[in-house]
Amino acid sequence: MKRIAFLFLAVSSLCLNADAATRPHYGRTLRVSLLARPTSLEPIQSLAPTAPQLAELIFDTLVSLDQQARPQPQLAISWSAEGGNRRWQINLRPGVMFHDGSPLTPEVVASSLRAANPSWQVSANGDSVQIVTDAPNDTLPAELSLVRNAIVRRDSSGKILGTGPFRVNDFLPGRKLTLAANDDYWNARPFLDSIEIEFGISPRDQLIALELGKADLIEIAPEQIRRSTADGRRVVVSRPIDLFALVFTRDRQSAEEGRLRDALSYSLDRASMRSALLQGEGDVAAAILPLWISGYEFLFPAKQDLARAQQIKSGLKQSSPWSLGYNANDPVARLMADRIVLNAHDAGLAVQVTPNQQTDLRLVRIPLVSLDVRLALRGVALAADIPAPAPGGTTLDQNYQVERSLMDSQRITPLLHLPRAQGIGVTVRNWQRTPDDSWDLESIWLATEKP
Amino acid sequence: MGPRKYLASYGETLSFRRKLLLVFALTVFFTVAAVSLIVSALARRAFQKADEERAAALVSQFRNEFNRRGADVTKRIDAIATSDSVARMALSVSNGAPDYGAYLNEAKTIADAQQLDFLEFTDSEGSIISSAQSPARFGYKEPAIAGLSPATGLFLKKEELADGIAIGMFATKAVRIGDKPLYVIGGRRLDPSFVASLELPAGMRVLLYQNVESAFSAKALSASSGALLEPEKLAPLIERAQRTGQETSEILHWTIDSADDEKLLAIPLKGLANEPLGVLLVGSSRRTYVDLARRIRSAALLVGGAGIIVSILLSGWIASRVTRPVEQLAAAARQVTEGKWNAQVDSKSSDELGELASAFNRMTRELVEQKEQLVQTERVAAWRELARRLAHELKNPLFPLQITVENLLRARQQSPELFEEIFRESSATLLAEISNLKSIISRFSEFSKMPQPQFQPVQLNDSVRAVTRLFQAQFDNREKGTIECCIQLDDHLPTVPADPDLIHRAISNLVLNAMDAMPNGGDLTLRTSHDANAACVEVVDTGTGLTPEECARLFTPYYTSKQHGTGLGLAIVQSVINDHGGKITAESEPGRGTTFRIRLPLKHEAPPAPIQTSGMFKQIS
Repeated sequence: MKRIAFLFLAVSSLCLNADAATRPHYGRTLRVSLLARPTSLEPIQSLAPTAPQLAELIFDTLVSLDQQARPQPQLAISWSAEGGNRRWQINLRPGVMFHDGSPLTPEVVASSLRAANPSWQVSANGDSVQIVTDAPNDTLPAELSLVRNAIVRRDSSGKILGTGPFRVNDFLPGRKLTLAANDDYWNARPFLDSIEIEFGISPRDQLIALELGKADLIEIAPEQIRRSTADGRRVVVSRPIDLFALVFTRDRQSAEEGRLRDALSYSLDRASMRSALLQGEGDVAAAILPLWISGYEFLFPAKQDLARAQQIKSGLKQSSPWSLGYNANDPVARLMADRIVLNAHDAGLAVQVTPNQQTDLRLVRIPLVSLDVRLALRGVALAADIPAPAPGGTTLDQNYQVERSLMDSQRITPLLHLPRAQGIGVTVRNWQRTPDDSWDLESIWLATEKP
Repeated sequence: MGPRKYLASYGETLSFRRKLLLVFALTVFFTVAAVSLIVSALARRAFQKADEERAAALVSQFRNEFNRRGADVTKRIDAIATSDSVARMALSVSNGAPDYGAYLNEAKTIADAQQLDFLEFTDSEGSIISSAQSPARFGYKEPAIAGLSPATGLFLKKEELADGIAIGMFATKAVRIGDKPLYVIGGRRLDPSFVASLELPAGMRVLLYQNVESAFSAKALSASSGALLEPEKLAPLIERAQRTGQETSEILHWTIDSADDEKLLAIPLKGLANEPLGVLLVGSSRRTYVDLARRIRSAALLVGGAGIIVSILLSGWIASRVTRPVEQLAAAARQVTEGKWNAQVDSKSSDELGELASAFNRMTRELVEQKEQLVQTERVAAWRELARRLAHELKNPLFPLQITVENLLRARQQSPELFEEIFRESSATLLAEISNLKSIISRFSEFSKMPQPQFQPVQLNDSVRAVTRLFQAQFDNREKGTIECCIQLDDHLPTVPADPDLIHRAISNLVLNAMDAMPNGGDLTLRTSHDANAACVEVVDTGTGLTPEECARLFTPYYTSKQHGTGLGLAIVQSVINDHGGKITAESEPGRGTTFRIRLPLKHEAPPAPIQTSGMFKQIS
């Protein structure tokens, strides 16, 4: 009997210990290492293009998108459209405070949105904000979820203030950012007391810092996911949401050039790029948007067809080799560029890799800006510096037609869809995976002991 | 004048001593120059050979270094092939299709560790599993595999990289684990840094030319050290090596300074299929050789120059020694031509020149003796001629004197009554003949008393005018026709140093002679002229003229072609002209008149000393 009682006590104590290990803890500082070097906290000019996940820590948007890309309330609690989706009424969440304690008012919101969208007519209307657009815009609530539409206020000294879960404690442009928990956050205080983010840390140094316990959260390049996982690190991988693509810097000048671009597209061995260069991570990209977002990617061809590429090229003459530029800071980009040159050579096309800025082709990595198909396509077009597609409808077929028109322009050739991955320290708890790979750091806490 | 003629005329004007000196100097100069050239050429050839041996040694040293690098590459490839990681890769290849992603950076990592520029792993089909130089080439075929054999050692290969074409020194090794082999192909890049890393001896450098373009491109050329200022100068050598596929060498002149010359050996670089990949240029500076050759040349020039100067001085001394007797002979010969018949030279030496001097002295002595004999003979002849002339001249008046005296004696004895009358007539005859005798004696006496000229500036035009005025009446009043006198004077005639009275007398005698030659009248022309050295007076008549024999004896004293002449007139004229240092000549033809031409020097020169002769005749010039 004594023996049975002892065993019961032992099991009970183990259960209590396990419960203590999974229970949220307030406090402690999360250390983050990033390769990016943002020089400003401006969400539009600096944070959005370099470190969008940081913007979400400091700033809130009026709306967020759920996993089905449906708008969900954030700073806005409701919205309605009039006049055929041209005039929108946004009702703000009451009691929201900026980091300096000032309230979120319709005037501040209107001012912030006007700065981000000059073409909109934004005005305060009582406790709400009214937005009038030039043309009917049924995607406006989704647009309000974009980082660039985060609500920003500047105090009298020009300091940028947000309503996000963390406030800026210290910022050394390009070097370090220290955030502190916003105790008055409208969506509950974060578990962490603070976050220290170091900028400009190379992937290798990030890995070392994680191994030494000097960092709790690091970035991991797609081609390093396999090895990092094999090495036993905690790696969280998103769905493939970034696009690796070839972008022609100008429109085709003739039908012949269009056929040459076709030949190039057919010559590309995307599967080898994925399997070898990305170590099997990501997906072969047949279209601009991944299948899990658009649902129609399989309608676009992606398999290498060298014979067809050679057949197209055989009757054509390339006036001069195409120059191919790439991001010299991206190690995989160089390999991708070299592989593209080899594939193109097999088809009889001449492509030369060059570090110059003025090139015929650019190998670019375009992040997904939204889970909304139309906004995502528009974001890709904007990032690739190609004409934005005409707004389509809401159906799958309409979205396909929009993307089809973008592809038919032959300005962009998708290669791969890449996931984003983070290495997480052993003490990090409750890491929440989000569909758009945004960091939900207000939900995590740090354990006091290693498991 | 052409150069040959000029040299000929110059040679003619050169003295014997200078000719001899010139011959000696030229002989010595050419001898020294030839010796210097030969010595210099032999020395140059010897040093050139030494330089070539040095260049060959340097090239050999380079080849050793090159081979050492190759052996190092082979050694590293062997080490890679025996490593565990490659064994695992070979096992993976043997088991089936390799995972390219797993080995994407494998070759790069191993190549960095082994300090290789190129490293590739391929399967038995030649498909690249991992590539250090071009990681993106996985899955592509490596064409070199087809040309490899177990015996393949070190080889050269062209590698197409993203930044261009490169040449590499490769070695390969097959790793056999299981059924299918894994090939390891790696090497070092032949580029400027490789060339610069070669441990080369001093004075040597290596240049690498890569066959990037079909035509020569300076951009494809890299040197181990120093900047390449004029790479296009290498183009012909490189193109020749590429064309022939053989090693070829050439000396390149980089600047006008030959010390900057460089001997270059072009070694064509070929791949496995004998395809041209590039050219390796091994250059060795010729500065050491050129500096040495220059020092030898300087020494040769210094010694040769000093030798030439010394030999010229010696030649001058020898020439003066040799030519002195000849010059003395020449001077003595000149004295002889000037009338110094008894000129003698020193004849102490016993050589040919001594014999020549002795012969000359003997010749002059004999000449003097013969001349004295000739003078003696002429003197006797002259005395005979004088006796004949005196007898002839005195005989004519003596005969009437004898007849007259005999008539007086006969009249005294036979016709006293007529004696008085006869005495008066005879006395007149006697006085006339005695007067004739006195006249004859007076002329002889006058000839013997020719005075020495008193020189003063004389205008010959004035003398000619004075003579014509004197004789103008006689020209006009002649019984058998008048003489037309014509004067043609040189308006720019300079004065001459002369005795005006004697000149007047000489011209007068010539005019009288002309008048005698034109008994029936005629034309008489007196003409003056001058040249650079002398003034000239011509007396031209249109008289009977003279035969050549008469011309030859024209100035001989007491010779006359006239019936009543003494034969002293022209002798006096010649004597006067000689005393003035001048010359008189006569040109005549029978029936066409005679021209006498007097040339008087514009500057007075002492007349040559007469030969020591005795008697009444002066030297005839």
